[in-house]
Amino acid sequence: MLIPRAIAYLDPGSGSMIVQLVAGGTAAVAVTAKLYWRRFLRVLGIRKDEHEPPTS
Amino acid sequence: MPRVAPADALQAEPASFRDPRSRVFEADGQILRALTEEGLADWNALSAPTLARDLTAAGKLIPTERVADGDPLLRRLPAGYAALLRHERVPFVSYPYEWSFGMLRDAALLQLDLVEAALGEGLILKDSSPYNVQWRGVSPVFVDVGSFEHLVQGEPWIGYRQFCMLYLYPLMLQAFRGVEFNAWLRGSLEGIPPGQFRPVLSVGDLFRPGVFTHVVLHARLDRRRAGRSAEVKAELRAAGWKSELIRANVRRLRKTVSRLEWRPRGPGWTRYPEDRPYTDAAAASKDAFVANVAGMRRWRSIWDLGCNDARFARIAAGHADHVLAVDSDPGVVEQVYRELAREGERRILPLVIDLADPSPGLGWRGVERKALDERGSPDLVLCLALLHHLVISANLPLPEVVAWLRSLGAPLLVEFADRDDPMVQRLLAAKRADTHADYRLEAFEEELRAGFRIERRERLDPGTRTLFFATPA
Repeated sequence: MLIPRAIAYLDPGSGSMIVQLVAGGTAAVAVTAKLYWRRFLRVLGIRKDEHEPPTS
Repeated sequence: MPRVAPADALQAEPASFRDPRSRVFEADGQILRALTEEGLADWNALSAPTLARDLTAAGKLIPTERVADGDPLLRRLPAGYAALLRHERVPFVSYPYEWSFGMLRDAALLQLDLVEAALGEGLILKDSSPYNVQWRGVSPVFVDVGSFEHLVQGEPWIGYRQFCMLYLYPLMLQAFRGVEFNAWLRGSLEGIPPGQFRPVLSVGDLFRPGVFTHVVLHARLDRRRAGRSAEVKAELRAAGWKSELIRANVRRLRKTVSRLEWRPRGPGWTRYPEDRPYTDAAAASKDAFVANVAGMRRWRSIWDLGCNDARFARIAAGHADHVLAVDSDPGVVEQVYRELAREGERRILPLVIDLADPSPGLGWRGVERKALDERGSPDLVLCLALLHHLVISANLPLPEVVAWLRSLGAPLLVEFADRDDPMVQRLLAAKRADTHADYRLEAFEEELRAGFRIERRERLDPGTRTLFFATPA
């Protein structure tokens, strides 16, 4: 079955998404670490910027 | 697809336009929801497993059925829609700025319940708006089945920010600061933004459960990271975001919300015993008068204006499908709500409405949220121990108040407390001696006769108050 891509009509808010990492508690520790590790590598120029491909 | 609408195309409900996949229409007294292809896929995902059925059976989701192929209604569907759903009608549409604290809290818990239930089926709710919650008596029910959609793996909870702005912050505002949320929500249909709520809190509040994450951090990041949603979403996905994190957040939020308490204080809380009749005999006569009038026939909808402790709304409810019980005091409505919920009463909806300043049309073009009298009409109106508050305290001209009551177009059961009534004396004492000179029984009766025929009249012991039952002339 084709699962339609969610095109949210609300802006989730970038800050609100980061808050959800903290609100996720211990379950979110690994994801948070990975997110900031990738950002760190990006700042050092080791990893290239990644962007979501356009969906529409 | 041609964009020509059939001549008798369904007319969209003015409040329903934000979600491109699903729109509400009203036709022949039915509440319908048109779905696009994508919206239909979401509905199938909700209704194919037992989720929709279970939620409906639990009273959490409005009963909904798909309009069958071949139904003439489908021919009236505007272009661009693939299917039509039919919803059960709620007795009266109300808005969060008309709810008491406990009502908004119970609606918040319902919203969280639904998010958690949806996650179990690989779904999510695309928004978190209390405007999607309505009431059957004092039971909250979620009415927007179009909110459910497939959860895209790796995507966070899109409705989290809205949950904070329209549920969590208003509740915290009232629980922590004692400020009733009603005025703020009426002034801002989008709710309270994180950056606006943060400065409201005291230093002590910052140590309360949930405040640091949901308010302080949220406000700080909201400011710093504006306009970078797509980028952050991609980063989260790459870092391995999973739906477990949404579930964890929802569970913690439920705990935070359940702990929020508000105990009404102040003059409002103690107001209503003063407005009771002054002798047991008068109280019994008043009860009997209301019971007699209400018992004349079966009523579809009774409005109890200035309901106080809802004593008369309860008497009337025995003879009505639905009773709308409104009072301007959020503390009074909160107490009524708690009592009715405890009693399991399903016919009475209590709302916080100041009749001197009733809810106006709000939002886009002023029609997204409707004014009070555009949302329904009563077929019996109770107006007991209210007139003197409207005329003397709120300075509304007596003829205008009567004319407004007449505009409701229904029989009226009204109480007039004359100038020598102790309560009226107290209200008048706060004013200059020459104000409200026209506030007299004879003047009132004359105004009443201009628009109504007086069917019954009874003076209550010890003689300062008179009850009238009048029908529109």
